[in-house]
Amino acid sequence: MLCEKCKKRQATIYYTEIVDGKKYEKHLCEKCALEYADFVYEAEDGSDNALLEGLLSSILGSYYKSSQPVKKEGREAVIQCERCGMTYDAFLQGGKFGCANCYSSFGKQLEKSFRQIHGATSHVGKRPKGFVSQTDRIIKDLSEVDRLSIRLQDAIEKEEFETAAALRDQIRALKAKEESQNV
Amino acid sequence: MYKWFEALGGNEDIVIASGVRLSRNLEKYPFSKKISDSDAIHMVEEVLKEFETYADEEFGYIECNLGELSEIEKFAMVERQILSKEIAVKKQCSGLVMSEDESTSILINEEDHLKIQALAGGANMQKAYEKANEVDDYASESLEMAFSEKYGYLTSSPSNVGTGLRASYLMFLPALGGANKINRLSEEVMKYGVGLKAVYGDGAEGVGHIYELYNEKTLGSTEPELLENLRGIMEQVAAQERKRREYLLANNYDEIEDQVFRSYGVLKYAKQMNSKDAMTLLSQIKFGADVGIIQFEKPLNIYKMIMEVQPYSLQCRSGKYVGSKVRDKLRAQYLGANLSEVIN
Repeated sequence: MLCEKCKKRQATIYYTEIVDGKKYEKHLCEKCALEYADFVYEAEDGSDNALLEGLLSSILGSYYKSSQPVKKEGREAVIQCERCGMTYDAFLQGGKFGCANCYSSFGKQLEKSFRQIHGATSHVGKRPKGFVSQTDRIIKDLSEVDRLSIRLQDAIEKEEFETAAALRDQIRALKAKEESQNV
Repeated sequence: MYKWFEALGGNEDIVIASGVRLSRNLEKYPFSKKISDSDAIHMVEEVLKEFETYADEEFGYIECNLGELSEIEKFAMVERQILSKEIAVKKQCSGLVMSEDESTSILINEEDHLKIQALAGGANMQKAYEKANEVDDYASESLEMAFSEKYGYLTSSPSNVGTGLRASYLMFLPALGGANKINRLSEEVMKYGVGLKAVYGDGAEGVGHIYELYNEKTLGSTEPELLENLRGIMEQVAAQERKRREYLLANNYDEIEDQVFRSYGVLKYAKQMNSKDAMTLLSQIKFGADVGIIQFEKPLNIYKMIMEVQPYSLQCRSGKYVGSKVRDKLRAQYLGANLSEVIN
């Protein structure tokens, strides 16, 4: 079949559009389909980011399609952020999060796309001053000896043997002190 | 007061400027996609208020609500890379804090709540990063930023999450651009998580051979690692540009010399000039000056001139809206008056 628009090239894309409940069908070639569907990639504000958003949405979307069972027992499973109401679908289309909470709402789905975009899934850089993480809190409740032991383990992994030796000596001294106090 | 791009750093022949952008969001407001008009007003006011004292301490900081600026002023700032087109046309409340030399600025309620930008002349990324970092530290002292232990700084777009850091070198690559090498180069640097694109005009080659080299990845590396990786790539690109320049000069010296002086003549004495021609010709004489073919009485700052011949910047200086015909005359007048005399 030839493309309905240019009537020159072979139609390879079957395009369905539903306007006011009426269904329109078109058989287009790749080139005409791109022109015809151009508006899909145009953001509301017509910004330069539109193309990037399209790209993002295709990266994010490919993961979504491959892993997400869309229909469960006849009804659609909608993943939505509780705080701002952004749905996962809307996020995929626009390529933008609605609020900070979306990151935890969309949870696991994000990891693979982050790996595709950044090649990583967790942050190792700067933290805001005074930020107390979960791990920090746990460490804070530990005894001095346990805290030093964690640092010792860390130093050994990083092969910083001088630091490790100093930490080992500190731990020994502390343990000796504790024992003498207990006696 | 000099603008930042008038203060020259190192490596001016290839690296025009270094810039750092940090994307930050306040924990308590939804991101720009979901923020309501009234929340946007509150958010902009809150951030502006926070920076009032900073503006006092650091002499010469300007604060404003973008709604107070005219369209010409806003688009002239887009041309000077302070504002994005996105924020210039935004209907919702948005704000700007900016140092007088325009090297440091904070956009409020753009794609993210805060976009902290710092620029430095030449290959001076460390200076730009330190400044942006200082502003970030100041802001996060009293504003709680959206941050998660796992994902780092949470941003509107997944492409900025983590460090929220976008570092970029503004590079002048006439020899590589002239030889149509930019496309291949940008594929090459992409493998290292780095992007390369033309700053002016459409398409990969762009106008005026000015390109931006920037980190694409923001998650999974520390800030110093990201900057170091980018610096390494920048030096590779600069080295390739130098090699290509040497090759060109060794093989086509006479043609290049002729072209440079012709371009100078047209720029200096034409009566009308559109911005594309002006940028192309300015880029040619900068190349000539960098490799010593042409010598000027005063050092030539092509980047300053390129910014000043842009349509909105011209209108901003003349103080009114004018049509393209009048702009072309104003542009030619500006170039005639500001191009330094040749001494060789």
